[in-house]
Amino acid sequence: MIGQSSPFRESIKHAVLILGALIVILPFYVMTSYSMKSQNEIVTNSGGFFGIQEQFVDEYCVKLGNPRKSCMETPIIYNYVQAFKKAPLLRYLLNGVIITASIFLIQVIVALPCAYALSKLRFWGRDVVFGMVLFSLLIPVHAIALPIYIMLSKVGLTNTYASLIIPWTISVFGIFLMRQFFMTVPDDLIDAARMDGMSEFGVIWKVMLPTAIPALLAFAIFSVVAHWNDYFWPRIAITGARDLYTPPLGMRDFKGDADGSNWGPMMATATIIVTPLIVAFLLAQKRFIEGITLTGMK
Amino acid sequence: MTTHHNAVSYWFVAPAVILMVVILVAPVFVAAVLSFTDYSLGNPGFNWVGVTNYAKLIGRSTYTKMLLASATYVIVVVPVSIGLGLGAALLINSVKRFGDVYKTIYFLPVMAALLAMAIVWEFSLHPTIGLVNKTLASGCGTWVQDLLGFGWVPWVDSDQSWFVKSCRDGFPLWFGDRTYTMGTIAFIGIWQAFGFNMVLYLAGLTSVPRELYHAAEIDGAVAGWERFRLVTWPMLGPTTVFVVTITTIRSFQVFDTVESITQGGPSKSTYVMMYAIYEKGVKQNLIGMGSAITIVFLAFVLFLTLAQRHLVERKVHYA
Repeated sequence: MIGQSSPFRESIKHAVLILGALIVILPFYVMTSYSMKSQNEIVTNSGGFFGIQEQFVDEYCVKLGNPRKSCMETPIIYNYVQAFKKAPLLRYLLNGVIITASIFLIQVIVALPCAYALSKLRFWGRDVVFGMVLFSLLIPVHAIALPIYIMLSKVGLTNTYASLIIPWTISVFGIFLMRQFFMTVPDDLIDAARMDGMSEFGVIWKVMLPTAIPALLAFAIFSVVAHWNDYFWPRIAITGARDLYTPPLGMRDFKGDADGSNWGPMMATATIIVTPLIVAFLLAQKRFIEGITLTGMK
Repeated sequence: MTTHHNAVSYWFVAPAVILMVVILVAPVFVAAVLSFTDYSLGNPGFNWVGVTNYAKLIGRSTYTKMLLASATYVIVVVPVSIGLGLGAALLINSVKRFGDVYKTIYFLPVMAALLAMAIVWEFSLHPTIGLVNKTLASGCGTWVQDLLGFGWVPWVDSDQSWFVKSCRDGFPLWFGDRTYTMGTIAFIGIWQAFGFNMVLYLAGLTSVPRELYHAAEIDGAVAGWERFRLVTWPMLGPTTVFVVTITTIRSFQVFDTVESITQGGPSKSTYVMMYAIYEKGVKQNLIGMGSAITIVFLAFVLFLTLAQRHLVERKVHYA
């Protein structure tokens, strides 16, 4: 961009960038490739990227007393079917959706009115509340996971959906972000709505919310990515209750069980867990990068 | 200015305030109090043990190893991931074509669930059947060995080089040999984090006024390095302060890779703080000790964030 670069320098730059890209992509390559190959191809590192998809005999199926002929499997189908059969992966994915959606919705319901009051209403103690928000920005939830875990187990809430959601219901960052955004909304807009007889509550959801859609979208991406991928908190809050597992917990469980012969299905599981966000990112890159970085700006 | 709406305001802020107090503020006090006790979940009561837990943190080798592991991880991951992030941003900004493609690729690890990718890395780095060691081993006895053996460099004994030795004795157990484990865990951390830093730097670069480069050129700063030193780097000051803070805080919080691959081993070389909090506080139910680590951890994070705010308020430009 700045200064002129010779074709030689340009190609050196590309060489470096391509080398970096190869290292970055390596695990994604391994993951998708292994998810399609047979165990034998994985161990011997043969078959190229897709594997040769030669049918093989599923020994476990034979052990169950089935005739060998009906136990022939195509690697790619076998791996992906096993990913769902060996563990209730569908349930884990559903849990992931329920939890990330609930977290985001509650965060918005809690944060928007607060942000509106902090930016557009006058009340005694407003500065104190805002001071609290600024102070709470200093506390990462992961850092206080242990005391939160103790408090939750004191009220008997560990191993519930609630325990996975509650610690994230308050997003001080969301409040802060929304307040900054609402500050830029002209007062006239609000006054006009009030003249029309709209309640303050109506103003929040019918006037402020629609103006805040871009900011809210960025925040949604930030929130969903963080909680879909989060492993630390679910690891602490859920012990043993398998039907409450989130996708990363399920993946970890799969790895713990694997006796070294299930790599194909395990990589299929990883692929399934990672794919939704990657695809969403590829489809809406600008928005995602905005969401992750803008909201990273604490 | 808007009119007063006292009563309704309190309804609007109440849920947020209550949740802030219960979820964010109270736990800090709970941890602070419990760090002076020997509490365990399930016990009816607890004893006050004074500063015993903190004394252990300083005195016991397990915890000094923990602090060392966390410090090592942070000291490696922060500068390298920031350096690579900045380097990638500068390169991408300066190439004529395909910049966006590289940007997309480098950002992929930020989106992927780290736990899943950690497990994939573990497989890729498997000592016998992992792709990495297999690829490395396939270079043995070929021109790759000659190249990486560095025998062509004067005064280098290629027999003593890392690659030739590994060809002879086998390539490393990345997660089993304590010489390599922390480095490999840090490598995964860097792999995951640098794309995030790159994007922040790319945003920072767009805000550097182009006139400054022209001005620098007129003043004689023609070489690329001079322009970087005199214009780009100072103008990226605020971005750097932010990137350093967030990367440091995130690096202190490393957990997924350690829990799923090494469990703190071998011989506590990757026993980082978050893993220690989980192991002591949750798995072993030693709440007092876990709380003490939590408090130390919070102190680090608080210090870093306050330092960042201080620097930002002074609008540092490193000049």
